[in-house]
Amino acid sequence: MNRMRSRPDFGRIAAATLETLAWVGLATALVALLDSVATPAGLGSLYLIAVLAVAIRRGQVAALAAAIVGVLVLNYFFIKPLHQLTIADSDNVVALGVLLLAALVVGRLAGQSRQRAAEAELRAEQAAAREREAVMLADAATALLGGTDDLVAAISAGLETAGRGELRLGASAAPHAKDAEISLRLPTEARSVWLYASGSATWTEEDLNRIATPLARLIDVAAERETAAARSAEAEATRQADAAKTVILHAVSHDLRSPLTAVRTAAAGLREEGTTPEDRVALIDAIEEESDRLTRLIGNLLDLSRIEAGAVHPRTDWCDLLDVISSTVSHIRDPLSPGRIQIELDGELPLVRADASQLERVFSNLIENGLRFSPLDQPVRISGGVGAGKVTVRVVDRGPGVPASQRAAIFEPFQSGGDDRRDGVGLGLAISRGFTEANGGELRLQADSADGTAFAVSFPLVEQPATVA
Amino acid sequence: MSPGESRVLVVDDEPQIVRGLRVILTNAGYRVEEATTKKEALDSVSVRPPDAIVLDLVLPDGDGIEVCEDIRRWSQVPIVVLSAVGDERQKVRALDAGADDYVTKPFGSEELLARMRAVLRRRSEEGDAAVRVGDLEIDLADRAVRRNGEQLHLTPIEFDLLSKLAEHPGRLVTHRQLLHEVWGPGYEDETHYLRVHFAHVRAKIEPDPSNPRYVITEPGIGYRLQVEQ
Repeated sequence: MNRMRSRPDFGRIAAATLETLAWVGLATALVALLDSVATPAGLGSLYLIAVLAVAIRRGQVAALAAAIVGVLVLNYFFIKPLHQLTIADSDNVVALGVLLLAALVVGRLAGQSRQRAAEAELRAEQAAAREREAVMLADAATALLGGTDDLVAAISAGLETAGRGELRLGASAAPHAKDAEISLRLPTEARSVWLYASGSATWTEEDLNRIATPLARLIDVAAERETAAARSAEAEATRQADAAKTVILHAVSHDLRSPLTAVRTAAAGLREEGTTPEDRVALIDAIEEESDRLTRLIGNLLDLSRIEAGAVHPRTDWCDLLDVISSTVSHIRDPLSPGRIQIELDGELPLVRADASQLERVFSNLIENGLRFSPLDQPVRISGGVGAGKVTVRVVDRGPGVPASQRAAIFEPFQSGGDDRRDGVGLGLAISRGFTEANGGELRLQADSADGTAFAVSFPLVEQPATVA
Repeated sequence: MSPGESRVLVVDDEPQIVRGLRVILTNAGYRVEEATTKKEALDSVSVRPPDAIVLDLVLPDGDGIEVCEDIRRWSQVPIVVLSAVGDERQKVRALDAGADDYVTKPFGSEELLARMRAVLRRRSEEGDAAVRVGDLEIDLADRAVRRNGEQLHLTPIEFDLLSKLAEHPGRLVTHRQLLHEVWGPGYEDETHYLRVHFAHVRAKIEPDPSNPRYVITEPGIGYRLQVEQ
């Protein structure tokens, strides 16, 4: 871009000198040719053509030289006395003077217009370069607005397209230029970003400096946007957590209050003198059932808080899943329709590594969930097997199933499939999954059949310990 | 020994719970004494040793586990601890410290009385040659197990495990105790032995091994022989 700014070099001066001499020589040859048919003073105007040509091609100084040399040559070879630089005829003096003057004026005018043309060309070239830079910055800005994770990479991609692969950006504390690259630190505020231009490129340091500032502003703006977005996401997360807490508090206080009310009412009933012995038994049953309900709810809340606080700390040991499930089932009361739980487990399931009491919490929540949603005449089946490097137990109920829209949320607290949130059942699946995952397992909903819902608990199949007889 | 001769020391600082326990235990025929602090409990045990202790693990002046450790230095009096819901670690610590069994708060009267009977039975029925549970008869002297009079074939290890439970019917036997007594010192952490061998025991003695009536698992803690069918 800065070809016009190069220092004078001797090659060019020599070429200009030779060309000037050639034009003067050509003019001289023409004068010699036409000497017989016209006066030398008149033929002198042929040198004007040579001066004009040199002025256009080589500029003012060369034109001036051509004019002087031409006049001297004409005088020496064609004006009497010949072969002397003196002039006999005063007419010829005037003619030569006019010729010299004309040559000077023509040369100067031609040289000036030539310089203007060159300047115009330079301006056009600079304008094209600016336009290209503008396009490049616009591309970079567009890439940025496209919303991307790595803004430096995005701007860099924009640069590479617009800069024809000759420019790139890199975010690092120190420059990491590749071979034949020049590097320039962008004047950014947020972070240290370097601009690299490959050595073969047409990019000079001055050009790079010119685009560095707008690039740096772009990066700063993008960084600010990123920070602002992160801050608003954080605020949104806090707001959602607060909302969830409110929902939980609301639900819990309701779930706590109703069994308490039942207990209080039963106690009042027992105090009444007119209460029959049968009613007393019923009221005592109510107190026991409602306290059990409170116990389960509080247990669930404690479990959930331990899970959410990441304070599960399993006491990992070898666990026999059949044993754990049998023990779980023996503790489950199903007063409405006892005997609905069918264990269809192979007694030889491999041992898994887990905390047995936490596994009991997993299965009791899953089984109670199944009992709650199954019709009273339908069993909750527990089956198991080994496959794909896992030991899996399935708890299958014949309830209404889980609508596709709720499947993602079903493991969230208080997402119970029905309106019935008694006993804190909305916590059960969240607790099951929390304990399963804390023990290195996986709990999935496998619910695509019309006849109910299957929850699959899987643990990695591990090498079984050696046993002694 | 009938309950009427047994004195039970209840150690708890919660008046309502003490009141409830007193009613339940007195109605069952026990004589009840009370202590509300660790110090009172230790004084009471040393001055006039009770036949059994019901011990809350949270006391105003200390930890119930320390009470267990202190008492075990000089007394084998049976201890049933009251433990909070969901805290398996605490149960295991109390059992390691010498407690005999536990009930989880809140508990029903039947569960507590069954535990009391089991820990007191240890003293009254030890030395019996055979233990009968439902249809099952475990003959400790002849090393034989019969169901409805029919001989069941257990391996020596399987019989040893079952007899360790039968020696203290109804009482919790921890993993460590079983491993130590059956396999010996150094095997206390090999709990997978228990999983495997008790699965075999159940397959032989239980009418429905997936729904055991006799050998009951306390997950993560131990096993007990269910005597009250």
